[in-house]
Amino acid sequence: MKMTTTVRVLLVSLILLLPLAAAESSKIPPPKGDQCVEETEWMRVHHFETILHQRDETVKKGIRTTKHSLKNCISCHITANDAGVYARYSDKEQHFCASCHEYTAVTIDCFHCHSDRPEEAVRESIEKYQKDGQHPHHVTHSSTSDLILNSKLLTAQ
Amino acid sequence: MKNIVTKAYSLLKKSPAEPDHSKRSFMGGVVGAAGLTIAPGVMLYQTAAAKPADQPVTDEVRWGMLVNVDACTEDCTACVDACNDEHGLWPDPESMTDSQWIRKLKVTDTQTGNSKTFPVMCQHCEHPPCVDVCPTGASFKRADGIVLVNMHTCIGCRYCMMACPYKARSFVHEDLHDQLPDSPRGKGCVESCNMCVHKLDAGEGTTACAQACQKDGHQAITFGDLNDPQSEISQRLKSYGGAQIRADLGLNTGVRYQGL
Repeated sequence: MKMTTTVRVLLVSLILLLPLAAAESSKIPPPKGDQCVEETEWMRVHHFETILHQRDETVKKGIRTTKHSLKNCISCHITANDAGVYARYSDKEQHFCASCHEYTAVTIDCFHCHSDRPEEAVRESIEKYQKDGQHPHHVTHSSTSDLILNSKLLTAQ
Repeated sequence: MKNIVTKAYSLLKKSPAEPDHSKRSFMGGVVGAAGLTIAPGVMLYQTAAAKPADQPVTDEVRWGMLVNVDACTEDCTACVDACNDEHGLWPDPESMTDSQWIRKLKVTDTQTGNSKTFPVMCQHCEHPPCVDVCPTGASFKRADGIVLVNMHTCIGCRYCMMACPYKARSFVHEDLHDQLPDSPRGKGCVESCNMCVHKLDAGEGTTACAQACQKDGHQAITFGDLNDPQSEISQRLKSYGGAQIRADLGLNTGVRYQGL
């Protein structure tokens, strides 16, 4: 009986530590440039506020400064890995945004509509689909099912 | 098909909603004939050419489009293809619900058998019915006359689609992948031609469809500032006129058709 409890405690600790281990062992390709548009510590806490503010400015007034635009975030932070592949948001290990959102259990819907990769990467994917005779909108990626699964898990918890 | 296209030269001539009509007469009264041709033109051209990225758009510009129906050929889809590519629409021929931001129409006069073909997209009305009916304010008209959907507040009720006399809007029924950075779009939102706002805000001063039509040699689409009397579109409208589709509704569309 005692053994079982110890094993249980060990198992639970392991499960709790898994995301941390996953985050530490992940290989997110390095961003472009040396410095983010704001201090890294501040960005970790407030990045969504700047994006939220800018989205209304852009949509309604056509203000398109790049400093706090989501497009600019993506173009710097999402770069090709060693194999030349740009990670999709569904890649929880290599996509810069996804890795942290996964770790902190945040479910966002920005990337249901917004591009999760720079334009050149999207165009590259499209060319590949067209060569393979597939249709871009009908190719199944795990992103959507992952998001549904995540929300189900969150509800269950 | 024929009944949605109204020949309305007489209506146009008298319509108070004709682009800039009242403004021009007002300016004429104030600054006189000599100032009319130079001063407003120069001022407006500068505004249209280079808007700093941190400045909001203003109503000094009103973007519009003139389609020369006689120059548009039936077998050409350059404008539609360019729009699909610019905004990442990637149409699927098998799908019944794919978005169309621009499409080619063919109208035939049943009496004479005369056919005309031309592109139809959001007409960017001065008084847009889609904006009137939107319950959340997601449908809106930008200061420079472009009618847009704010997809952050669109709830997908499709009221605007019912209100639009041009059937210009589409609803996204399925999950999308591989959207382009400048054209975010997704399931549950209504969307339509946005006059390539990202290009205009970057100072390009033209749209993908107009560029493609020029490149293809048809030169059927003229894009420009309706408020600037010196712009090519204003000059062409002055010389050749430009009919509105369903002019009887008095919406003062930003898209006009020459030879319809």
